[in-house]
Amino acid sequence: MPPAVRVSGLARRFGEITAVDGVSFDVGEAEIFGFLGPNGAGKTTTISMLCTLLRPTAGSAAIGGCDIVSDPAGVRREIGIVFQDSTVDERLTARENLVFHGELFGMARADIRPRADQLLERVGLADRAGDAVITFSGGMRRRLEVARGLMHWPSVLFLDEPTVGLDPQTRRSLWAYARSMRDTEGVTIFLTTHYMDEAEACDRVAVMDHGRIIALDTPARLKARLGGDVVSIVGPDNAALAREVRESFEIEPRLENEAVEFNVEHGGDFVPVLLARLDGEVRSVGIRAPTLEDVFVSLTGHQIREQAFSEEDKMRSMQRQGFRRMR
Amino acid sequence: MTVSAEAGADARVAAGAPRRATGRAGFLQVVRVIWMREVLIYFRDRARMISAFTMPVIMLVMFGEGLGNSIAQLPGDIGYRQFIFPGMVAMIVLMNSVFSGVSIVTDRQFGFLREILVAPVSRTAICIGKISGGATVALVNGAVMFAIAPLLGIDITLEVVAKLLPLIALVSFMLTGLGVALGSRLRSVESFQMLSQVAIFPAMFLSGIFFPINNVPAWMDVLVKINPVTYAVAPIREIALSEQLAAVPADAPFQITHVEWFGYTLSTWEEIGVVLAFGALMLTIAIRAIRTTE
Repeated sequence: MPPAVRVSGLARRFGEITAVDGVSFDVGEAEIFGFLGPNGAGKTTTISMLCTLLRPTAGSAAIGGCDIVSDPAGVRREIGIVFQDSTVDERLTARENLVFHGELFGMARADIRPRADQLLERVGLADRAGDAVITFSGGMRRRLEVARGLMHWPSVLFLDEPTVGLDPQTRRSLWAYARSMRDTEGVTIFLTTHYMDEAEACDRVAVMDHGRIIALDTPARLKARLGGDVVSIVGPDNAALAREVRESFEIEPRLENEAVEFNVEHGGDFVPVLLARLDGEVRSVGIRAPTLEDVFVSLTGHQIREQAFSEEDKMRSMQRQGFRRMR
Repeated sequence: MTVSAEAGADARVAAGAPRRATGRAGFLQVVRVIWMREVLIYFRDRARMISAFTMPVIMLVMFGEGLGNSIAQLPGDIGYRQFIFPGMVAMIVLMNSVFSGVSIVTDRQFGFLREILVAPVSRTAICIGKISGGATVALVNGAVMFAIAPLLGIDITLEVVAKLLPLIALVSFMLTGLGVALGSRLRSVESFQMLSQVAIFPAMFLSGIFFPINNVPAWMDVLVKINPVTYAVAPIREIALSEQLAAVPADAPFQITHVEWFGYTLSTWEEIGVVLAFGALMLTIAIRAIRTTE
């Protein structure tokens, strides 16, 4: 079976700036595939090219066998898109939004209504099907958009930062809906995120930074690559502690989260040895399994800057709550 | 770097193969669904409907009664209120048509335009659907004027109304084309409102809605004749007042209607031809604007 998405050497430049610098990967059928990276890493640019909204400057890609440059109409039939910003018509009802989409995508008249009702049921909006979207919360709007993206039976559903600006509980429920869609519909889900927990839930993750894919594997294997556990120690003089760790154990520690952090095998056995040998004062010690954040830091040397709620996110969130109406 | 997609690709799919939509939406299906949404949204907006219904009545009564009494009699003994009524119909159509172009601006602002533009459908169909939707709204508003005409003391027969409706549909289409062409270039509702006012007001006053076009100073005559709305107002009035106009003597100081080009008097059909040509031009501009969007 051919892969759902096949990308080779895809690149996009905007004048002097190279937003995407030659990426290649395949995404399998019914896979949940995540693009993890900070804002500006090139995730949205890549997705825009795959959705035929932006022409690549080099390379090629195919979705469901349709080439993104020579057959954009074919690609658009194969994909569903949930954009970063809401694109539902809030003056229409939830069901009308889906019916409109079905008609626009040339679905058979007899299929449209049953399909809309089935999807509304799946995303838990059946009892609100006849209500205008203007009355919906941010989370409900997102769910409706996921349902709409799936309306015309696409083989790949693109979700661009699907949960930015949503509260954690809403994010989890949206995520559960997306997963159940994959299980029941067999649709490939391709998402971009800068949230670690969202990346953890993917089957495979491509870590992206400065327009390049710097690692691509399952979350478990990405973390296993780091080897062992993350040990963090805090003392009155972290810089001195870091120097000591480097000199006596030949480990390269990082100064992160106001602590000295490093990776070792069997962290529990290592800590007593460490404490016995260190001269500097240690106030606290922590051992934890590595996260994707650690993977990202070790690969790029910098953090993903995951502010729980950046200013931009706040604006988005307000917009989704219908803030714009107040203007 | 290429990594196999097989990683973890064990049987993840429980249900049977998904059903696929067949084919691509036909041209007319796209026109219909876009049109449908415009109309649906309009009829749901009560405030917009009420204002659209009351505005013309107020204008007609104010101008007809207030201004009409101070205006000298028109040739052929046509009362001012009778004279201005077809103009009011044209004005309502003009305002509704051009203003409906705002829908494309709000669609852009609220993101819905992206939903429409990512669909694998003809942009021309999207454009024609949009224009037909706005034109339908304008036509409905124009038709309402005829329905209330008897209450306002206007003489009009059903036969005349039946002749006028297709013409008004055409005029609506042309002017909505103008609105959509304008709307697809603009990013904010505020700038659309500003610009459409700037476009509507001179077009309204220089089109013969309020006064006969053949009795104006030479400089204004030029402006009246380059104004496309003039060619929409004239045939509407000629059909609406056909009986009264027939009674105007040929040697009257000026003729109430019919545009004159360098001494040549255009017939009603020729004026409609100008409307058609302008409508086609607007449609072309609007389609091009939507094609180059995004």
